[in-house]
Amino acid sequence: MRRVVEGSHAVSHAVDLARVRVISAYPITPQTHIVERLAELVADGVLDARFIRVESEHSAMAAVIGAASAGVRSFTASSSHGLALMHEMLHWAAGARLPIVMAEVNRAMGPGWNIWADQTDSLSQRDTGWLQFYCEDVQDVIDTILIAYRVAERVSLPVMVVLDAFFLSHTYEPADLPEHADVDEFLPPWEPVEVLDPAEPRAFNQLASPEFYMEFRHKMQQAMDEALAAYPEIDRAFAARFGRTHPLVEHIPAEDGARAPLALVTTGTITSTARAALAELRDRGTPVDLVKLRALRPFPQDEIRRVLGPYGRVAVIDRNLSFGYGGIFAQEIRAALSSLADRPVVYPFVAGLGGRDVTPDTVRAVVDRALDDEPPGDILWAGLKE
Amino acid sequence: MSPVTLRTSRDLPPTSRSLDTMEWNHTGSWRFLRPRYQDKVAPCAEACPAGEDIARVQMLLAQGAFDRAWLRIREENPFPGVCGRVCSHPCEAACNRGEFDAPVSINSLERFVADHARRQGLAPPPAEPADSGRHVAVVGAGPAGLTAAHFLRRAGHDVTVFDAREEPGGLLRYAIPAYRMPAEPLAWETGLVMSGGVRFQPGRRLGEDLGWDELSRFDAVLVAVGHWAPAPLGVDGEDLAVDGLALLEDVRRGRPPEVGGRVAVIGGGNTAVDVARTLLRLGAEPVVYYRRRLRDMPALPGEVAELREEGIEIQTLLAPARIAARDDGGLDLALTPMAVLDEDGGQRPRVVPSGHPEIAVAVSAVVTAIGARPSPGTPAAGLDPDGSEAVALHLRRIRPRGEWAERPPVFLAGDLVNQNRTVVAAIASGKEAAVVIDAALRDRALGDAWSAIRVGRKGAVSLNRLAGGDRAFRLDHVVRYDDLNTIYFQYLERKKRPRITLDERRTGFDEVHLRISASLALSEAERCFHCGQCDHCDNCYLFCPEVSVRRDPRAETRQIDYDYCKGCGVCVVECPRSAMVLEEEPR
Amino acid sequence: MPIDLPPSERMTSGHLACPGCGAAIAMRFVLKGLGDRVVMVIPACCWSIIAGPFPYTALKVPVLHTAFETGGAVASGIRAALDVKGDHETQVVTWAGDGGTFDIGLQSLSGAAERGEDILYVCYDNEAYMNTGVQGSGATPEGAWTTTTPTGSPKATRKKDIMQIMAAHAIPYAATASIAYPEDLVRKVQKAASIRGTKFLHIFATCPTGWKVPSEVSVGLARLAVQTRIFPLYEVEDGERYTINVEPKGYLVDAYFKAQGRFKHLTAEDLERIQERVDHGWSRLEALARIA
Repeated sequence: MRRVVEGSHAVSHAVDLARVRVISAYPITPQTHIVERLAELVADGVLDARFIRVESEHSAMAAVIGAASAGVRSFTASSSHGLALMHEMLHWAAGARLPIVMAEVNRAMGPGWNIWADQTDSLSQRDTGWLQFYCEDVQDVIDTILIAYRVAERVSLPVMVVLDAFFLSHTYEPADLPEHADVDEFLPPWEPVEVLDPAEPRAFNQLASPEFYMEFRHKMQQAMDEALAAYPEIDRAFAARFGRTHPLVEHIPAEDGARAPLALVTTGTITSTARAALAELRDRGTPVDLVKLRALRPFPQDEIRRVLGPYGRVAVIDRNLSFGYGGIFAQEIRAALSSLADRPVVYPFVAGLGGRDVTPDTVRAVVDRALDDEPPGDILWAGLKE
Repeated sequence: MSPVTLRTSRDLPPTSRSLDTMEWNHTGSWRFLRPRYQDKVAPCAEACPAGEDIARVQMLLAQGAFDRAWLRIREENPFPGVCGRVCSHPCEAACNRGEFDAPVSINSLERFVADHARRQGLAPPPAEPADSGRHVAVVGAGPAGLTAAHFLRRAGHDVTVFDAREEPGGLLRYAIPAYRMPAEPLAWETGLVMSGGVRFQPGRRLGEDLGWDELSRFDAVLVAVGHWAPAPLGVDGEDLAVDGLALLEDVRRGRPPEVGGRVAVIGGGNTAVDVARTLLRLGAEPVVYYRRRLRDMPALPGEVAELREEGIEIQTLLAPARIAARDDGGLDLALTPMAVLDEDGGQRPRVVPSGHPEIAVAVSAVVTAIGARPSPGTPAAGLDPDGSEAVALHLRRIRPRGEWAERPPVFLAGDLVNQNRTVVAAIASGKEAAVVIDAALRDRALGDAWSAIRVGRKGAVSLNRLAGGDRAFRLDHVVRYDDLNTIYFQYLERKKRPRITLDERRTGFDEVHLRISASLALSEAERCFHCGQCDHCDNCYLFCPEVSVRRDPRAETRQIDYDYCKGCGVCVVECPRSAMVLEEEPR
Repeated sequence: MPIDLPPSERMTSGHLACPGCGAAIAMRFVLKGLGDRVVMVIPACCWSIIAGPFPYTALKVPVLHTAFETGGAVASGIRAALDVKGDHETQVVTWAGDGGTFDIGLQSLSGAAERGEDILYVCYDNEAYMNTGVQGSGATPEGAWTTTTPTGSPKATRKKDIMQIMAAHAIPYAATASIAYPEDLVRKVQKAASIRGTKFLHIFATCPTGWKVPSEVSVGLARLAVQTRIFPLYEVEDGERYTINVEPKGYLVDAYFKAQGRFKHLTAEDLERIQERVDHGWSRLEALARIA
């Protein structure tokens, strides 16, 4: 069913389609529309689930950890400071191998207070053991939530589905809302291996000594590897049913069958802006290929090397910043490419922090600078006031 | 149970979760203190001259195991029916419950057990050891003699008891009034002694119908003929007075004297009280005259109280001065007012004439009860400190000198040697006699064993300990009030002993105290703290932080699993009755 | 009368508690009261260690070990999950120490209580952060030594009144209990289990190690806390109906304080002041019980 849906509500409806049974959330702008709609769906009996109206994000994550430990498909949503408050429990959820899915609306961290788009909040959670998928548009949001549950339950790790504040969370777009029956086929009920059960009393998450801790971490890494390996198959299954595909690395050449001198790597909603800007540039005779990166973790290193390796130059736009180094996706890409003997020059741009608009002009400026003979450097600011 | 073995990463679950319990972890290795079940000595048992295992008896009673309770008493004392009536019950004075609310009514419970046994016709198990081939003569069938005879017989000796009177029992049968010591329960218990194989020869008075030629044919002789000879009053007209013991014996023989009017009873001991209460029942109007104060009376306080309840007057600080016959057939009794001279040392105070004028009272008769002396025929050497030696607390042996060198060993027991001439002291004496004579006949020196067979090393002789029974394994520590964890005890009223009416008491010789009901006995026995005796209350089990106390639900046992016990000692402190100890862990 | 408790045993030997641990005794009693339809949540506390490391457990009930401040929230999540699975019978029980309850976990506990989650939250109170080595907590009593309130400057402020806090949430049932009164404790567990909604049990659990007392007095000291009125045993229903369950003998507090190394620096004046506070607290409690 094709409808015009707000990005936040797309999350809510996807959660309904996934037949989530326990939702726990605490409000934070710009996540509120997601949980408000979910509360309504539950209250109206549309979604047969419990909505736990907790007193903090920390408790929201703790509550879904409890629910998932009891073997029930669970969901939460947060953003920025809320996500930061959850941090401890993000580790716990992953270490406990719980397939929780969370919608995370990218918002800047204070101070000063800033409610607008910025990826530093989610990227700061890089090492918690969560999978992170970044969405470009409303359809992407719907589809990614469904795919996320399937991946999470396959490898027993939690997944963060990330969408930009306002640019996506509060934007209405037409999108296909799948039918329940189709989703049920794609995403059957979760069948957990072990749950809290009085009939089979076990302790979970107890002290793990140095004798065993490392093996448990090794198993988490193996699960990440498995997620990476299984993703294409899951994506194909999704495509087969719904006709849409969402590769972790999407290669969008300016001209079919040709390689442009520059590849531009983007994540989130900037990808849509870049699509428009690059189309215009191509039409003006400056072909630049676009690479949409969808995952921070597991990081698709092989795919990155395969797609970007042959380029002479790669520009990356990061709407985030690791202070003292630079844009975080650029770091990851540079690290992945470093194993290649012959590798492209990477231009790591930082743009759009704290909700500053990344416009087609910004994209064009980035392209110009990367194609000119600007020294590549470790951090290149785009759109910064002089 | 061994720890789970996880050799490879593949053996591990995806995340930290349990595969087994912690029971592989033997935390007993942490222990440096070791708790242990250890029964100790209850103060009542230590105080009991008969060495009865009182706290254990109360436990059996509270469990409704009346038969076993009776057998438990009889291990140490063949006369619970007697003691349950006439014992001075020092146990109750020692009872830790006295400090909490009121002592357990041990005496009435003993009576209950004995009456239960008699009603049920219980029989003690037969004496166990083979005949020793040795013969023992016991002269005097009072509590001391019969007790000795009973235990000597059970030790396998051939025992003959001689007594001047027709029936066994001594003063229990012929002095203590029937309202305190009825004939039937006594006869049943003496009958049990006899049915154990003790021979009884009545009508054999030492020195008259029984001579030393005959006694010398035995391998050992015990003389326990008691004190039946009246003590002289030492005043003019003494011959006009009646001997109290003789009066009591006449009554018990069914030959009550004709008495009436005001009768003076001289004395302050149990005999004086017995005489006065007997006279009342015979229709006289007795008045007790005592040279000291009420509080100084050696009679049992309970007996004195009952006497007063019955309306008998006691006049104190009056000593007889003279008795004179009157023309009307009555007597004039002159009494000297006395004053307390000093009051040191907790002893009965010395009294002297106060200087006030004499008092004269007109009475129909004067009965003396100022104490008695060894019965005629008692060997003088036995009473002579040079002619005999103390061989136990309540036992003397005539030194084998002169004529006694030719005779078998001769021992004296009961009132003849006891300072405290109570029935239970006589029983204590009889037990010591049995132990000593048995050892002598078997050429076994008791020596160091002597303290080991005494309850708590200082109390009475215990036959159970002598035989290596469970009491031999008790710690000799006597449990005091401060050793208890009294939080686990509730205040419970001491049950009153039911009695017949005052009218019935004044007019007849029915037993004053009624047998208590089984339900009353149960609830009174439940008051017992069971000091030092594990009664399986399970506090040790329940409070154990290690779940290391194992219970066998069928057998009455608790065991500490030292594989896990960390030695915290909580069980020892939470034991309400101090039936555990905490010791250094042996290394 | 012998103490009468359910025979079931869901704690095993071999656990890692210190000798005489009140928290171990408390756990045993609570499990006896709960029966077998239980899921337990254990946020960081001594019991995170006591229960044993991977791959073992000393508890024969399902246990979810979780982060320090999450007792109320994780239990809420499990409750929700069981409810949506149609299981309304299994009790969800949070088993937290005083730090995880009075301090870091107070927010999540308050949230669960405010939402009326159908859970039983048990705080075993040993009056400091014992697992980490005796640091002061909001439950540490006035005057106590801990490693972060050293003798030179013992804790100057009073113990937080967690019961008043919970009563203020108007939850259907809140009660104090003591390891020294197992029948009362088990009765309260059973009563709590029979009530729908948020139930709170505050159990006094001696820590011989942290309080510097010999292990064998563990239970006796807990009893003394009740008998001195320092830790009265009472229930609060719906935040307003107070019932005192054990009438204390009212011993002077000196006996309790002088028995413990953590209080050995206290002066006679200190004890006098504390006695006044205890007397006042007791009068207040009596007054509340009278109103009910």
